[in-house]
Amino acid sequence: MTWTEKYRPKKFEDIKGQDLAVDKIKSFAKYFGTGKKALILHGPPGTGKTTLAFVIAHETNSEIFELNASDIRNKIKLHDVLRPVMEQQSLSKKGKIILVDEVDGISGYYDKGGVQELVRLIELTSYPVIITANDVWHKKLSPLRKKSELVQLKEVSYNIIKDVMINILRKEGQFIDQSTLTRVAIKAKGDIRAAVNDLQTLSQMGEPSLAVLEERDKETDIFNALRIIFKGKPTNETLKVFDSVKMSIDEILLWMEENIPAEYQGEELARAYDLLSKADVFKGRIYKQQYWRFLVYENIFLSYGISSAKKTPKTGFTSYKKPTRILKIWLNNQRTAKKKSISQKYAKYVHVGTKRAMHDFPIIKQIINSNLSIQKELKLTDEEIEYVRN
Amino acid sequence: MVSEIWTEKYRPSKFNELVGQDNIIKRVEALTASMNIPHLLFAGPAGTGKSTLALIVVKELFKNNWRDNYLELNASDERGINVVREKVKNFARTKALGNVPFKVIFLDEADALTPEAQQALRRTMENYSATCRFVLSCNYSSKIIDPIQSRCAMFRFKLLEKKDIERIIRRISETENLTIPLESIEILYEGSEGDCRRCINILQSTASVSPSITPELISTIISSAKPKDIKVVLDYAIAGDFQRAREKLLDVMLKESISGQDVIKAVQKEIWNLPIEPEIKVKLTEKTGEAEFRIVEGSDPFIQLQALLASFVLAGLGK
Repeated sequence: MTWTEKYRPKKFEDIKGQDLAVDKIKSFAKYFGTGKKALILHGPPGTGKTTLAFVIAHETNSEIFELNASDIRNKIKLHDVLRPVMEQQSLSKKGKIILVDEVDGISGYYDKGGVQELVRLIELTSYPVIITANDVWHKKLSPLRKKSELVQLKEVSYNIIKDVMINILRKEGQFIDQSTLTRVAIKAKGDIRAAVNDLQTLSQMGEPSLAVLEERDKETDIFNALRIIFKGKPTNETLKVFDSVKMSIDEILLWMEENIPAEYQGEELARAYDLLSKADVFKGRIYKQQYWRFLVYENIFLSYGISSAKKTPKTGFTSYKKPTRILKIWLNNQRTAKKKSISQKYAKYVHVGTKRAMHDFPIIKQIINSNLSIQKELKLTDEEIEYVRN
Repeated sequence: MVSEIWTEKYRPSKFNELVGQDNIIKRVEALTASMNIPHLLFAGPAGTGKSTLALIVVKELFKNNWRDNYLELNASDERGINVVREKVKNFARTKALGNVPFKVIFLDEADALTPEAQQALRRTMENYSATCRFVLSCNYSSKIIDPIQSRCAMFRFKLLEKKDIERIIRRISETENLTIPLESIEILYEGSEGDCRRCINILQSTASVSPSITPELISTIISSAKPKDIKVVLDYAIAGDFQRAREKLLDVMLKESISGQDVIKAVQKEIWNLPIEPEIKVKLTEKTGEAEFRIVEGSDPFIQLQALLASFVLAGLGK
């Protein structure tokens, strides 16, 4: 039995470093029936999401019904499997908890309609539903977020990880020196499961040496990548900085665009934007020619290139910002929806393209506004007329 | 019903009413009279009569049935070639009404289609050639792939001259009871850059304020439609405040929905009013040209403009 299974907490008091989350899930269970019927436990891997679900089941003397990523979770499957569970009484008159594990693993393609069906089932269920996810903010989960309480589990601090490891070693009657333990704990970056796995590997090797433990390819978040590019000297490692960032290159480009002026000024700024604009040119070429090797160039300009725009490494802390441009464009599109619908009607009527009508809108607006019969001709709605007036 | 929108109200409906494209008109009229037209390609600047001529052709061919036998699509609005194909298919499936054996599809701004989409269009043109004639319009014929060009009879429209524009304005002014001095016509012509549609729109917009079309009034109307704040954006950049410059830029582009190409045009003109060395003006112009080229080629306008702004920051430092 792996140590991660053997020492998986069974009771609330065994769970370390997640006091806030524990309190929240307790009150969710206690007051079930009065509020939202589902709860999403979210946080990085190895912080105890699944464990917490099993513990609450244990502590409330409930059966657990689990569905995880290895099951197909499309609409029909979810309906067929979960529906009876949610409605039927538990055999032993015990309570029941439905656990949908790793919900961000529901594939938009293979598990079509899965998330929507889950939302519908939550409305029907008479038992608590617990959902776990790494990235709760993924847009496909947005309907689910509205129906659920969110509980965040944080990365576990290395002190606590170390305590957990010492506890396990004591029970196993083994010994590993303090400094090795500290290094294992730090290397785990908040992931208890990773730490315990490493610990078991080490203990089985006789002469423990950290060198044998390969660094896990942990997701470098975008903030880290930005730090490496903007602060550090360009090295061949810089070329790979986006490999472990879980984002599309298009999204990364927006992050770079947003944050260059936070770090660079004057000539550096101009050089960095020059390289960004070249990355963008290659992006355009990829789309146009469908020639994906150009990705190499886009990637190099964005990482190494922008890193090389400065003469000396930067120090100090910079708070990087999320790209806001797309949001602003979206908000603006909401605002200009009327302008567009008017332009469309006008364009169709006078045999021009909508784009050209939008382009000449100030002049066209004046014409439309001054003449009621034109408004009728174009069959403008009251709202559209209102828009033209202002 | 006669439209109150002047570009429609005064749109020529017969060959001999069209102004400024005499050579083209003669040839197209002859083709139309034979009741069998080839595919046509109309190339030329905006507002020179391409759509109008297409409409005249179908009205001549089909007389009162023209609406049933004519489909107008705008390539810059229809999102993909699939939409075009779908609509073409549905339209071409039924036989033409009347005694002409084909229908006519007018594909406006065909140069907005990507080369791949044009390849697909070429097949579509072939597949339906028995039942459909295509009339394509574009600003630049070089953006139309050769195989399509070779299947069409090509006509190049030229910009309207001042005398053409004047004739049109005079005609409208008489009917609409406008008083319009010669200088006003001058300004209208310059403001419209040979684009007849734009010229008539400016005229109607001005007339909606007052029937007395003074040069000042026209200028006000024209400048109200121009991106004003580009100067502010550049001022921030030259002063070294890049963050505010780009904020303002995005603001201008979104709120007034000005395209990247229009911004670049304004930037290019504004360079000459900036307090910087001649040598740097030339350098900036070169950068501006490169940015415009990239935007035309399909790069992200906002990113290219930001890069350009960063060189304006440098210019502000004398570099």
